[in-house]
Amino acid sequence: MRRLQEMLDSTALWSRINSPWLVHFNSGSCNGCDIEILATLAPRYDLERFGVKLEGSPRHADVLICTGPVTRLARDRLLRTWEQMPVPKFVIAVGSCSITGGAFHGCYNIVGDIGDVIPVDVYVPGCPPRPEAIIDGVVQLLTKLKASAPARARTHGPAREPDGQPAPESGGGEP
Amino acid sequence: MSAESAFDVILESVRPWVSGSPVAAGNRLDMETGADRLVPAVTALTGLKWGYLSAITGLDSGPASDGHIEILYHFCRGASVATLRVKIPRDSPEVPSIGAVVPPAYLYERELAETMGVRVAGLPERGRQWLSDDWPENVYPLRKDFTMESADAPGPVAPLVGSSDPPGTFIIPIGPQHPALKEPGHFELAVDGEIVTHASIRLGYVHRGIEKGAEDRSWVHNIYLMERICGICSHIHATAYVLGVESLAGVAVPPRAQAVRTVFCEMERIHSHLLWLGVAAHQAGFETLFMYSWRDRETIMDLLEEMSGNRVNYSVNLLGGVKNDIDGAAADSVRRGLDYLERRTRHYLKIVTSDESFLRRTRGVGAITAEQADLLGTVGPTARASGVSRDLRVEAPYLSYPDFPVRPVLDTRCDLEARFVVRINELFESYRLVREILGRLPAGDLATAAPRKVPEGEVISRVEAPRGELFYYLRSTGGVKPDRVKVRTPSLCNWAAILSVAVGHKLADIPMIMVGIDPCFSCSDRMITVRRRGSGRTSTDQWSWEDLRQYGIDYYAAGRV
Repeated sequence: MRRLQEMLDSTALWSRINSPWLVHFNSGSCNGCDIEILATLAPRYDLERFGVKLEGSPRHADVLICTGPVTRLARDRLLRTWEQMPVPKFVIAVGSCSITGGAFHGCYNIVGDIGDVIPVDVYVPGCPPRPEAIIDGVVQLLTKLKASAPARARTHGPAREPDGQPAPESGGGEP
Repeated sequence: MSAESAFDVILESVRPWVSGSPVAAGNRLDMETGADRLVPAVTALTGLKWGYLSAITGLDSGPASDGHIEILYHFCRGASVATLRVKIPRDSPEVPSIGAVVPPAYLYERELAETMGVRVAGLPERGRQWLSDDWPENVYPLRKDFTMESADAPGPVAPLVGSSDPPGTFIIPIGPQHPALKEPGHFELAVDGEIVTHASIRLGYVHRGIEKGAEDRSWVHNIYLMERICGICSHIHATAYVLGVESLAGVAVPPRAQAVRTVFCEMERIHSHLLWLGVAAHQAGFETLFMYSWRDRETIMDLLEEMSGNRVNYSVNLLGGVKNDIDGAAADSVRRGLDYLERRTRHYLKIVTSDESFLRRTRGVGAITAEQADLLGTVGPTARASGVSRDLRVEAPYLSYPDFPVRPVLDTRCDLEARFVVRINELFESYRLVREILGRLPAGDLATAAPRKVPEGEVISRVEAPRGELFYYLRSTGGVKPDRVKVRTPSLCNWAAILSVAVGHKLADIPMIMVGIDPCFSCSDRMITVRRRGSGRTSTDQWSWEDLRQYGIDYYAAGRV
């Protein structure tokens, strides 16, 4: 039984590394990063040739790709989107704002950066980062994933609790 | 008609409601009126069919004992701006709504009510618009005595406005996280079968508080903040801002710098329109056109990068000039790039006007008549596709546009197809302009010194962004920081029109109608507006976020067992 579970886990990890699905959420970005993420998926950079797919539903996604600082209204939505994703889940924060608040640091409707709300695995700096940098961010995450085997280590919820709140019993469960 | 004679006409009919002596200077006319005389003054002004309401600016004098709030109603026509100014006491600020006379005013008045704490009598009651639901009561961010601490304590969560649709109405919620949305916004569409009977939108997800933030930053810092209002039209925001500051400071910018700015403005328009073409095709399910136009858009991104060093947020502007020159080699690359793009654009024009399945999604869909476009205050390509000629590059040329005149692109078909055709034809016009300017680039310096402190005064700066008229109001008290920066973006003007025409269309057409105005959330994030067919009011139990979250967790936990 244990052998079977290990085999299933390694198969899941193998498929995740070869075809991670991304869900995109903008929590207060100026659009700059968002159009660069789209440009990354357009023919010139064509991230899809690496098996990466932009997925509409957080329920089907492995990676949350976030842009922008977190505004007061979007904070709850960001958390909710993250909670809806099945574990194991990963977060890439794209752009200076998502790292520090960027140019908007200190504005009244900004509650912080992405890392203040949900645990982030990879930060991609830039205002906005070039598509190559975004691709590199995804590659960094996949490298990290490969090193993280056995996959069981990440199936028991997040490494860090989001925003000081108790971890949900199950954020969505294994598919 | 010259600005002066136009102002004479206004004064003739508005005079009875104006107190003191109106000030006419250059292309501006400022008239003082009172809260009690505001509605008749606006009615007289609109009765003349003179211009449209472009923005409402609120100014706070600060918490002195005789403190007051001044509200500026800017009406624009071509290069002329007529402003009605109303001063009201700070401790009981109240003005009547002018929305019954000028429908788009509701949007601007709502913004005024939320950020300035002005009670607008007659404004339809709605929930929070662009401040978050837990924003404390009686805390107004644009007041001078606002502190960050006062906003920290979360107030009682503002009640969601109960649905006023008859029981059984089927409402489709969309967003803020949704595959069809690249930016967060929340739409509610009530449908009767396939037909939309009411459309409402709640924005505020990307509201960052930039207008207040600008008051804490120096004149120079603000160039970079304004650039980041929108990542698609970053250069035009910075340009509108620096043009305003330079006019306040009396800085004469060298002609070469103005020409370089103009080239970047037009190249930004090309990148923005190509981006829009792709996104619009994507909404129609025409993925091939999406991919092709985004592939070709990379040509212009490469050129922008070659000229400025960055693909997005080029940061070309300085106070008093520009940072980057365009040398011969760069000009040659631009010409080559534009030749390629011109060929491709001709191909796209052919596709959007001849592809049978695509035309079924655009021809006769989402029509905004010229009267509606005018009444609802639409701007930019959305107005021009309805035959309303509003283009500041033509009517009030700025930068190098006086030397390189723009031919306005108009279409009178009013539907979605017209909006495609207008934007694509504007691309050709932009190619021509860039080529002409590069061929006759004035010699001389790139920048001149600008003072660190800007003299006291106020200025209105209006430019034509890719999406339409962009309005900036700047006020200085003579310091190193602005006293007030008011930004009114083109998307805000166009939302009202689009929510109105959405009603009565099929649900499947809504994404195309929405994208038809090239909406930009990060620009316009400040309001909600509702249009309904039918009425009646019922209250429904609302679930809190916590209830919903717990329900979701329980649901999936149960499913696993």
